[in-house]
Amino acid sequence: MTASLEVDGLTIASGGHKLIRDVFFTVRPGVPLTLLGESGSGKSLVVQAIMGTLPAELSVTGRVVLDGKDILGTDRRALWGRRIGLLPQEPWLALDPTMRADGQVAEVYRHVRGLPWSQARQSGRARLRELGLEAASRRYPFQLSGGMCQRVALAIARAAETDLLLADEPTKGLDRALRDDVANGLKAEADRGRSLITITHDVAVARVLGGKVGVMLDGAMVEYGPAGSVLDSPRHDYTRQLLMADPSAWAPRKPLAPRDTVIEARGLTKSFGGVPVIEDVDLDILAGEVVALLGPSGSGKSTLGNLLLGLLRPDRGEIRRKAGLSPLRFQKVYQDPPSAFAPHQTVRTAFADLAKRHGLDWKRFVPLFERFRLSSGLLDRRPGQLSGGELQRFALCRVLALEPAFVLADEPTSRLDPITQREVADLLHELAAEHGLGVLMVTHDHAMARNLAGRVIELRSAEPDASSPGGVTAPA
Amino acid sequence: MTKTKTMTFTFSRRRAAGAALIGALALFGTLGPAVIAADPAQQDLLAPLAPPGGDYLLGTDHYGRSLLARLAHATRLSLGLAVLTVLSAAIPGTLLGIAAAWAGGIADRALGIVSDMILALPGLLLVLLLAAFAPGQFLPLYLGLALAQWVEYFRVTRATARTLLSRPHVEASRLLGFGPGYIARRLILPELAPVLATLMAFNMGTAVLAISTLSFIGVGLHPPTAEWGSMATELLPYYFEAPFHVLMPAAMILLTVLGFHLLAGEDRS
Amino acid sequence: MAISIQRQTGRLLAGRAMQAVTVAGLVGVLSFALVRMLPGDMALRIAASRYGPDLLSGTAADDVRAELGLDQPLALQLADWLGRLVRFDLGNSLVSGQPVIDELAVQLGYSLWLAGFALALSVAMAVPIGLIAGLSAGRWPDRAALTGAILLRALPAFVTGLCLIILFSVWLGWLPPAGFGTWRELTLPALTLALGLAALSSRVVRDSMVAVAASPYFAFARVKGLPERTVVMRHGLRNGAIPVVSLLGLQLIYLVEGVVVVESLFAYPGIGHALVHAIFARDVPMIQGTALVMGLVFVAVNMLVDLACAALDPRQAAR
Repeated sequence: MTASLEVDGLTIASGGHKLIRDVFFTVRPGVPLTLLGESGSGKSLVVQAIMGTLPAELSVTGRVVLDGKDILGTDRRALWGRRIGLLPQEPWLALDPTMRADGQVAEVYRHVRGLPWSQARQSGRARLRELGLEAASRRYPFQLSGGMCQRVALAIARAAETDLLLADEPTKGLDRALRDDVANGLKAEADRGRSLITITHDVAVARVLGGKVGVMLDGAMVEYGPAGSVLDSPRHDYTRQLLMADPSAWAPRKPLAPRDTVIEARGLTKSFGGVPVIEDVDLDILAGEVVALLGPSGSGKSTLGNLLLGLLRPDRGEIRRKAGLSPLRFQKVYQDPPSAFAPHQTVRTAFADLAKRHGLDWKRFVPLFERFRLSSGLLDRRPGQLSGGELQRFALCRVLALEPAFVLADEPTSRLDPITQREVADLLHELAAEHGLGVLMVTHDHAMARNLAGRVIELRSAEPDASSPGGVTAPA
Repeated sequence: MTKTKTMTFTFSRRRAAGAALIGALALFGTLGPAVIAADPAQQDLLAPLAPPGGDYLLGTDHYGRSLLARLAHATRLSLGLAVLTVLSAAIPGTLLGIAAAWAGGIADRALGIVSDMILALPGLLLVLLLAAFAPGQFLPLYLGLALAQWVEYFRVTRATARTLLSRPHVEASRLLGFGPGYIARRLILPELAPVLATLMAFNMGTAVLAISTLSFIGVGLHPPTAEWGSMATELLPYYFEAPFHVLMPAAMILLTVLGFHLLAGEDRS
Repeated sequence: MAISIQRQTGRLLAGRAMQAVTVAGLVGVLSFALVRMLPGDMALRIAASRYGPDLLSGTAADDVRAELGLDQPLALQLADWLGRLVRFDLGNSLVSGQPVIDELAVQLGYSLWLAGFALALSVAMAVPIGLIAGLSAGRWPDRAALTGAILLRALPAFVTGLCLIILFSVWLGWLPPAGFGTWRELTLPALTLALGLAALSSRVVRDSMVAVAASPYFAFARVKGLPERTVVMRHGLRNGAIPVVSLLGLQLIYLVEGVVVVESLFAYPGIGHALVHAIFARDVPMIQGTALVMGLVFVAVNMLVDLACAALDPRQAAR
């Protein structure tokens, strides 16, 4: 039996305020649907409306028709795991922390499909094996990386073999490097004849899945159609913006003109707890260039950057900085912007303290704020009241006020939404061009690295990632 | 959104209630002994166990001593000893905690071992052992309580400071040229202050409980000192004739500890 | 993986063993200092402790002086004192003249009964109250339970006990206010302790239940299509039990302290009562013996709690 789902005029409101307006789409076996939009566009509410898990205080109208029957407003508990399956957001939180991976798959066979335990366990392991998780089947979720947890969740979805599968932000919290892996896993499910609905902010996922795409903005569907036409010839402005924001779509940049060396490293070696992370690395960064540092998780990218800045001490090797430069001119921009600011201080206090510390005039900051489009109203907020993009721009202002010669940018865009990501990348490139700044950019994203950097350095993983026990921890 | 609002509202209302309660008790303890004419040790053998409301506002105990005067003196004693204990525990505990987190290495380890040693025994057992040196005396009681409590401040401060020191914003501040003084004062202490305030308020309650408990079982301060626990012990044989007299010191303990727990704010476990 | 969990369990046990050594050292050194501080002739005192006051004579004291080398350096004497402690040679009580170890064996049994009964009572109260409060989080049953817990936690155990005596012995006349022998004498002291324990644990049960019910793994277990029974029993209860069992370690401190107070109040002949009396009488061998045994039991039960936590929660086993 295969399922087709039709959603029509779906509207979700809280009080008088409409969170979702007139959303419509159809899904058939083999033709997956992807809902594309940024966080806050209300995509996840659509999933909850289909599952029947919307909070009671929200009112919902419209139709959700599964195989000719309107299921909206009915109790759908009996359909869960039998007709409708869900791939949860952030699976490292959705897996039971006290149960081994194979048990979590096997219990679906035992309790949903009614097999005896011995068979259920065998089938559970078989699903994990198919997804390359044989070694992980006796491990607990906390011993698995984020990507591995995602595959365990996929194995659970596969075990249930529901006709309809919903995937809610399957790449959220995962390295960009893993997103193709996830997207291909989902594609395989669709190809097995299941009806698939995927909610994502990631254009690349939509591209891999094909089928149909709906683009959502502020709770409304602004564009809907076959993936090919929506992604290749978008009609709505917002869709165009979203597509342009993806690094693979960025226009090539004017090459930079690097000058003399700001910082160089020779024979750097560093190990943690006896495990070598960096071995015999040579590196030069010139003024006015962007160098991208690529590599999978655990390959020592951030370690190398921190060694250059003197935040870690190398076991062997040496680092030479250009003579006559104050240590203050070597700076860092962080991956998670909120954590780079003291949570209880307003941004104004942070900048005032910086001015006081170095005898700077406040006037020096003003043009920087203007250039980065940071209105003075934002200054009196605390980090928790600002968006990631705003904070990252403040972080760049803070660093630039000290006229740096070298900046380590440690995955500066990976926590930002696509449009802000583009802005921050543009800024870094401009600074290298205009101010002769040497930038070492740590990133996962090959497309961005190729677009931004004059040179790309790739670190290999020190140990095979997939089989290392708990080597990679999932972001909390 | 509305949920968080109501939560912070009841939260602050609770703290305000605790502060009011403690404020009133502090007034009673500081002004009471000065204002109340009666001497807490003055016996009136013609009026033992007088009921409240006559010549003596709250009545008298079995020796005819004014209960109002005795309760006021006992309040001053308990609050004073609690403040002294908590300050003696909190100040070194906090400073050592920050120092251990900052220095790491051997100093951190050594302090960790010392704190483990003190935590090896339940706190009251340690106080009892020290009290055995000089039963009925003030000093071992105070030393024992402070010794048992500083470890808490040390551990909380060390753990919090350690996490904070490893956070990107502290690293960023170092790179931006800020020194250890700025980092400790402006970045670590403000984050630590609410935790410490909660812990101190809560430990005031713990100290008051311990002082009265030890006196009640006869190991803490002894009669004729006016102290809630020993007053309860002394009045215990008369609970049939004068049940409210026994309950008065008990009620004072309840109000004081309740006040501190409410002031501590969160439902700490 | 299994090997590393075993190794972690080993480390955990080693930590508790270190704690036991610390307890013995701390108690031993303090008792030694205590005995040196006592007024009067120490040799006489120790002789009395060994042979009982009846057999005491001047020569016995001289023998002790020579044997123990009381004229020797302090460090040697301390080493000898601790050496006896390690062999569990605790001497005789200065009051009764009986071997400390014999008295302790009886008293400890009584106290364990009391503590065990109190713990069982507290679980019987805290779990249903916590579950009801959790189910009605934010509404009146939850608030009532919270208010009750806050009030109880602001009462010292002796006041709770006094109120129970006034209620059940004086007014209702149902239970005796003191004594020992049957369950009737055991009930009030155990209830006093249980109320203090439940004041805290009912809140932990409640918070844990609310946290599990709101957790993504609990929701996902339902979405997987598992029957409600499996969702609650396998994914709810086990995860919900982790903080409650971890709390037991903390509750042990309350239990040890509470036993001392409650036994004194109810004149219950357990080890806490013995400790308080030994302090009055400055009966150092008894002080040392009771404190040592209470400390060691505390460590041993803590170890059981550790093992239970590790069995429930693989993350703790691997830490």
